[in-house]
Amino acid sequence: MAKRSLALQLNEVVQWMLVSLRPRPEESPDRELASLTRVAQVLRELPREEFRVALKSDLQRRVSMSEGTAAVPVGTGETKASAVHYQRPGLTGITPYIIVRPAAQFIEFLKSAFEGVERMRMPAPDGSIMHAEVAIGNGAIEVSDGNEQYPTAPGAVHLYVDDPDATYARTLQAGATSFYAPTDDHPSGDRWGAVKDSFGNHWYIAKPRGWTPGPEGLRSVQPYLHLREAHKMIPFMETVFGAEAIGVHKSPEGIVHHATIRIGNATLEIDEAHAEFQPMPCHLHVYVPDTDAAYARAMDAGATSIDAPRNAPYGDRAAGVKDAWGNSWFIATYLGQ
Amino acid sequence: MATRRPVRKGSAKDVGEGVRLGTEQSAGERGLVEAAQSDPAKFEVLYKLHFERVYAFVASRVRERSTAEDVTSEVFHKALASLPSYEWRGVPFVAWLLRIAANAIINHAKRAAREFPAPDDPPDRAVAPELQASEMRAIEYRAQLFRLVGRLPEVQKQVVYERFVEQRSIREIAQRLGKTEGAVKQLQLRAVQNLRAQMEGGHG
Repeated sequence: MAKRSLALQLNEVVQWMLVSLRPRPEESPDRELASLTRVAQVLRELPREEFRVALKSDLQRRVSMSEGTAAVPVGTGETKASAVHYQRPGLTGITPYIIVRPAAQFIEFLKSAFEGVERMRMPAPDGSIMHAEVAIGNGAIEVSDGNEQYPTAPGAVHLYVDDPDATYARTLQAGATSFYAPTDDHPSGDRWGAVKDSFGNHWYIAKPRGWTPGPEGLRSVQPYLHLREAHKMIPFMETVFGAEAIGVHKSPEGIVHHATIRIGNATLEIDEAHAEFQPMPCHLHVYVPDTDAAYARAMDAGATSIDAPRNAPYGDRAAGVKDAWGNSWFIATYLGQ
Repeated sequence: MATRRPVRKGSAKDVGEGVRLGTEQSAGERGLVEAAQSDPAKFEVLYKLHFERVYAFVASRVRERSTAEDVTSEVFHKALASLPSYEWRGVPFVAWLLRIAANAIINHAKRAAREFPAPDDPPDRAVAPELQASEMRAIEYRAQLFRLVGRLPEVQKQVVYERFVEQRSIREIAQRLGKTEGAVKQLQLRAVQNLRAQMEGGHG
């Protein structure tokens, strides 16, 4: 009861602060509240995560541009990292976009196997699903029945869950087949199991063990790409998306056993295709600070165009490219409400 | 429109004189700076190390978020460009960054003043404010708090960003996160309590 009232009191102070930009005049200063207020005041100046990431990639771009070329103008508008909240609320830097048929049935699978929450569904005129979003944990999966331009393409997704054994069991009940049950012997050190659903998607179901989440925290949903010549994907993503390889395990010959790549505030994983984990060219949705620039860099890096940058009716600057491995990337910048 | 805010004036003393940082700073730092001088790609390490400090310093002097971002961006671009001419003099690298920041803030204020002239225009010479140890401690405190937000449990972190950065109402956050308003207020409290506990722990 007392705790609840503290929550209310703190919220009143915060509310006042956000509206007036000034600390609230204290009538009878409560010590507990006063010390929380000091923390809250500092939080008002908390830098935007998007800004920190965008400025970093601006600087990286500048470093890579100035290699070989002469001076780059200082402080000009072209390196503007600020003022763009470039990710659509509810989505992170990278989200798997799974196109399978029938999408409606796939959504039911996500709900029953992973406790997914459908938060949006846009039907096409013919009754199929043009676009849907299903939240899983703190991430999301985008779903569609697809069309000629964007055909069916199942993918592989690594999910972090609280109870991998229970989740694994639910996937089997929902019609998936097992690669292997959750085990503690997976090279990642996580408790890790793997299944294939009836739509052809792979699900790697894991619980982290002794894994330290990065500054962005643990992401529930991470696309997983099995690639031929996976090592070449890392520079592609670095160049095009300002990605950062945050953990790369290679064999002495340079074969990528596993790599985690960060784009914005989210991660994806890649490895060299092996055994039953063969390439599955898929669709990925990335949010970047500047779609046009990322699209241009993708073209320079050898990708082919699916869609030139345009203002999409749902309020994103959007483009589409296909990489050398056949994956398509929906590149987007959220333009705000 | 830029915020008009008087820039604190101080003596032209070296910023570094008032700065006393932890021992972790000086030891490996020279090596990091020299590595970045020979390979600009390594500047990223310095950026990661000092982003929060520079932002905290700037944000404490320019209240408007967009201005704070512009100035912070300018500081790191300028630092990257000037790095080849930087000479290690035993002063923490952050002092050099904050000196660039102080000048950038003054220039920003002057640009704003040109657009909206006022009788109390700042003086024409670029004066770096003297950074007292107490102010440096305040910057360290804020920078550390900013870093700790990143390590909060995911949902608490989300509430902090939605509330303090996006400045959304409790109701809006509740809708977006699919929680009750009471739950969001509790999460806000828990996040702030967590941060306070860790800051106190960190300071012994």
